[in-house]
Amino acid sequence: MNRRDAAVAMAAACKSPAAMIAAVTGTASVAAAQFEPGKGLTGLPRQDFTPPPAGSYRLPVIQPSPSGLVLEGDRWPRRLSAYTTGAITLLGFVYTYCSDPVGCPLAFAAMVDVRERIARLPQLRNRARLVSLSFDPTHDTPAAMQAYGGEHARTLAPRWHFITTASMSRLAPILAGLGQDAEVERNADGTPTRVITHVLKVFLLDPRGRVREIYSAAFLMPEVIVNDMLTLALETDAAS
Amino acid sequence: MPSCKQLAILVTVGLLALPAQADETCNSPYTTRLIKGQEHYLHVWTLGIQGVGDGSDKLVTIDVMPGSKTFGKVVHQLSVGGRGEAHHMGFTDDRKHLWAGRLDDNKIFVFDVGTDPARPKLTHTIADFSAKTGYVGPHTFYALPGRMLIQALSNSKDHSGVTGMAVYNNRGQYVAKYDMPLGDLPIGKGDGYGYDIGINPQKNVLLTSSFTGWTNYMMDMGKLINDAEAMKRFGGTMALWDLKSMKPQKVLSVPGSPLEIRWSLKEGDNWAITATALTSKIWLVKQDAAGQWQAKDVATIGDPAKIPLPVDISITADGKGLWVNTFMDGKTRYFDLSDPEAPKQTYEKVTGKQVNMVSQSWDGKRVYITSSLLANWDKKGDMDEQVLRMFNWDGKELTQVFEVDFKAQNLGRAHHMKFSAKAGGSTAQTAGSVRFAGR
Repeated sequence: MNRRDAAVAMAAACKSPAAMIAAVTGTASVAAAQFEPGKGLTGLPRQDFTPPPAGSYRLPVIQPSPSGLVLEGDRWPRRLSAYTTGAITLLGFVYTYCSDPVGCPLAFAAMVDVRERIARLPQLRNRARLVSLSFDPTHDTPAAMQAYGGEHARTLAPRWHFITTASMSRLAPILAGLGQDAEVERNADGTPTRVITHVLKVFLLDPRGRVREIYSAAFLMPEVIVNDMLTLALETDAAS
Repeated sequence: MPSCKQLAILVTVGLLALPAQADETCNSPYTTRLIKGQEHYLHVWTLGIQGVGDGSDKLVTIDVMPGSKTFGKVVHQLSVGGRGEAHHMGFTDDRKHLWAGRLDDNKIFVFDVGTDPARPKLTHTIADFSAKTGYVGPHTFYALPGRMLIQALSNSKDHSGVTGMAVYNNRGQYVAKYDMPLGDLPIGKGDGYGYDIGINPQKNVLLTSSFTGWTNYMMDMGKLINDAEAMKRFGGTMALWDLKSMKPQKVLSVPGSPLEIRWSLKEGDNWAITATALTSKIWLVKQDAAGQWQAKDVATIGDPAKIPLPVDISITADGKGLWVNTFMDGKTRYFDLSDPEAPKQTYEKVTGKQVNMVSQSWDGKRVYITSSLLANWDKKGDMDEQVLRMFNWDGKELTQVFEVDFKAQNLGRAHHMKFSAKAGGSTAQTAGSVRFAGR
């Protein structure tokens, strides 16, 4: 696919994270995630190694997770800890209208891949969860997040929660607590655009809600992520 | 937010850049917001000199934006108090903060350079590095997602070169420590020394190099050279680590104190290069046909018998060239790296009476050098020139554009450099580089 083809495909396919990724699949000049339904994320970042065996290494505690109140679907507000403790959790931030193919859609695709792998692993299937939390509570209402999650928001084992907050003032402490940067990009004249600039980060939390690994774009390797989740599962088993 | 149509246009005209494997050619691959266009500011971590200005270590910010009214001028200086052997710096993964270490008192200063890069602010000081780790001399600051990997040079027990790496989270809280391989091990003979860090995420490989301990780096250079026993106490190894497990996998013999490590930034390349300070060699680290990592001496820098002392290297973004600064003869040399197995020197120029760090812009058109190596290793008298010099490079000749005399301006000894750009600045976006949503 050449640049022009990629551009045409992208213009035609800006409807969902997977569609965005698929639009640029195979381009030489604009390499992006190669995502195929059923096969998951097969492109960036390239993983040219076999991870060390699960449980053969330790993931140090990087930081605690913050507290806060979040919204999911038509539920009453719940504590964030309901989504960050009691299970091995993979949490990432998104905004539903993010169109950077190597931004939110890449994280989404990686989480789809991880979810498919977890579903096949009895050691993790019922003790792990995924969480996508919105950067933009103004636009991303609970209903919008459910729509964004689509079928992923409705299936079980493992659960994938698509949550948001009631306001920026509710969101800000959560972002700060996790160390997730986010800022609205501005035009040269200072007017805000609708781009939320942020470093892509996906957080792995243990059942106590402690951050044990953080994956940025260069680390977003589904096999490695699942291996880390298995390591935490083994650690939890050993502790109990 | 750009519309899908706008995105398509960006793709078509090639403005939609990818996350590169490294910062402006020398930093952690996890540092974001690369400046591929014109850098706006240059931050210089500066050693205070007693009797010069306030005598304090300081972060000096220089406007390097062509056309600016203050181009080539110091626009800000932030003294941190005291002198503790200011040395290297590194950005956090989000490039909002700059961590700067001192090799003597082990303090680490965290500057906010994201809010207003023209006026960095000291946000906090980490003072527990030695107490938490037992290490001394926080040298290399290498961003990992949400945290900083710090390579130390020494230890608090005997101040030798036996040391390790520590991880702090971005809030400045201690996370973990990892000792350098030491002694006869199944993976090779480790000397326990440390210096630089280089990570290849694709290979899950972390590479470290080795320098010397506090006793040596705080000793007067003249005294050190004449102390045969002290001169034996330099590192001669590189260690290859499994990044995920943070366990050393192999010790490579690289005699003569290998210092800076640079992985080739070219996509598909999986080799790294280093230079040895004492033996004046360029070494290549890559996998052999069997997939085993090996270190190989591939070139000589100047006349090793004269100990030119290569002290810093800077690789071009395409992995085809390497700048090498040699402290003793004050030369900045360029090596053609087209064949990394056989680098060839194609250019050299005396850029100062003593030169240490060399940094280049992403496009390779601008090259910056500073003068100070270590407070007690810098030359004496008139030879103790303390400057920042900026050059244009046209592929054939380095042409000096401006100089900042750090002594004349009562600043101190100019050491490590980092670039920054104005937040949301149009320059970076229109000059072929970019800040992007989602990264």
